[in-house]
Amino acid sequence: MRLFVSTLGKLRNRLATWLTLGLLILLMAVIYLAVGATAKETATRPNGAAALLLITFPGAYALILSFVLGLGGLFVMAYAAAIAGSEWTWGTLKTAVARGESRSRYMLTTYLGIALLAGIGMLVAFAVGVVVTFLAAKLAGVSTDGITDTSIFGNLPEQFLRGWYGLVELGAVGFTIATLARSQLAGVGAGIGIYFAGTFAGLFLPDVVKYLPFAAADSLISVDSAGGSASAGGGQSLARLDPNTALVVVGLWLIASLAVTALFTERAEISG
Amino acid sequence: MALAGLDLSVPSGVVYGFLGPNGAGKTTTMRLLTGLIHPDGGTIELLGRPFGRGDRHRLFDVGALVESPAFYPYLSGRANLRALAASGAPTPKTRVEEVLELVGLKERGKDKVSTYSLGMKQRLGIAGALLNDPKLLLLDEPANGLDPAGIVAMRDTLRHLASTGKTVFISSHLLGEVSQLADVIGIIAAGKLVREGPIETLLSAEGQVRVRVAAAEVERAVAAIAPLGVAARVDGSDDGRPAGPANETGWLVVPIEPSRAAEVNRALATAGIYASGLESGSDLESLFLELTSAAPPAQAAGAPPPVVGGNWQ
Repeated sequence: MRLFVSTLGKLRNRLATWLTLGLLILLMAVIYLAVGATAKETATRPNGAAALLLITFPGAYALILSFVLGLGGLFVMAYAAAIAGSEWTWGTLKTAVARGESRSRYMLTTYLGIALLAGIGMLVAFAVGVVVTFLAAKLAGVSTDGITDTSIFGNLPEQFLRGWYGLVELGAVGFTIATLARSQLAGVGAGIGIYFAGTFAGLFLPDVVKYLPFAAADSLISVDSAGGSASAGGGQSLARLDPNTALVVVGLWLIASLAVTALFTERAEISG
Repeated sequence: MALAGLDLSVPSGVVYGFLGPNGAGKTTTMRLLTGLIHPDGGTIELLGRPFGRGDRHRLFDVGALVESPAFYPYLSGRANLRALAASGAPTPKTRVEEVLELVGLKERGKDKVSTYSLGMKQRLGIAGALLNDPKLLLLDEPANGLDPAGIVAMRDTLRHLASTGKTVFISSHLLGEVSQLADVIGIIAAGKLVREGPIETLLSAEGQVRVRVAAAEVERAVAAIAPLGVAARVDGSDDGRPAGPANETGWLVVPIEPSRAAEVNRALATAGIYASGLESGSDLESLFLELTSAAPPAQAAGAPPPVVGGNWQ
């Protein structure tokens, strides 16, 4: 428990934690406010009405969540990779191991801290997203009456849990890549590479790509619910897993990633 | 670097100086003793008991600073020690302040490590190694980056720790520092222990006499000394012959107890050879070079061999 509390303290004080969350919120705010500001012109264009759905409640709730989980998935992967890589490059894992700490326990506890912060960050980003969307709707002159439509809230907790599950999986993949590479940059780079490669490959090999980390996470909440189509992972997969199959696939990626991390760390020669 | 049957006998309550040239296996030994790497074969004993995979709890009695000190640069020195205290050996909360005080960083404890000098990081690393009040302290180049005052303070601290019954094991390239600090030394070369024992005993046993004579008189000098029962050789020359022109002088090494230096001088004078210089005894540097030059570390193909001695001029 003391290790977990200490891990949270380390993550809380790290600039990357706040930078990741801040960047996600900033991008969301810019995009939503831009949509709000240009809504009247956009609405006259082909498919323009669809853009207005972004800022129309109650459907906007699911789309905000989609945005948070889509871009957030990429950010969490990069963030987790940065944290894991720095344990190797800074030599802090070495110091802990030399004090008799269990290697795998240390790394998995670190990841547990990341997973918890990812969940908190998701909630914070969602809350900010609602405020920003409300402002964007006002800016566009779109009715905000739907914001109090409570029918959506019944489904949201499950969506949140599924979304968080997807983030945890993506973070674990990034964490593992950085552990294997013992490098922050390699982990971050590989995470971004997987994201874009997966999106691109999805156009040609959809039946394979749908099982990969981003696409599987994307499928977790790919349900039309409460007036909006949400998608974690943010990819544009042409083929999707059904949400329940995605639960299993994501679970396999998560377990496999953490198992590889634990096994590699236990057996690695530590230097530096 | 592969270690071959390295068997170190480190008595408790002493400062043990672990010496060796680059690539000799010092850091490998430190990593093995702290569980950072595991041996391909053989066994390790730590604090008198076997130490292998699954024995990480044995490190609860060990404090270590291996290679460079490692910290989170964005955290303060104090926060780093607190984070470290949360891993591995259970550590009382008050201990962080105690070790900060001990290494003289209490005033700077609130500052981020990224603002620390190399010497301050080294002191913080030593503080981290002391967190669990270890029975055995393993320090890799502990004087690295310390200023003279810091070195003196570190030396006092380590001597104090040894006087309280703790065992301090230091690896260092600073022979002068080790000779001042260590009670016992072990010298390693090419993965093997080549000498070990109390430093004073080793230096007196390995003592020698060096005499400076004209190059032209080397052969006569060697012959004059031979009746003493020793074979003198030219310092730094593999074949025992002087390397320089005939009118130069150089050192002859006479492997004889320092207390017999006068006999050497008398034998030379009797033969009409007058030494322009005479030194007796040994120092750690001479001993180190003598022992480690016989087993040079691996070097790149085609690189010139290391030059030791050979001071004809």
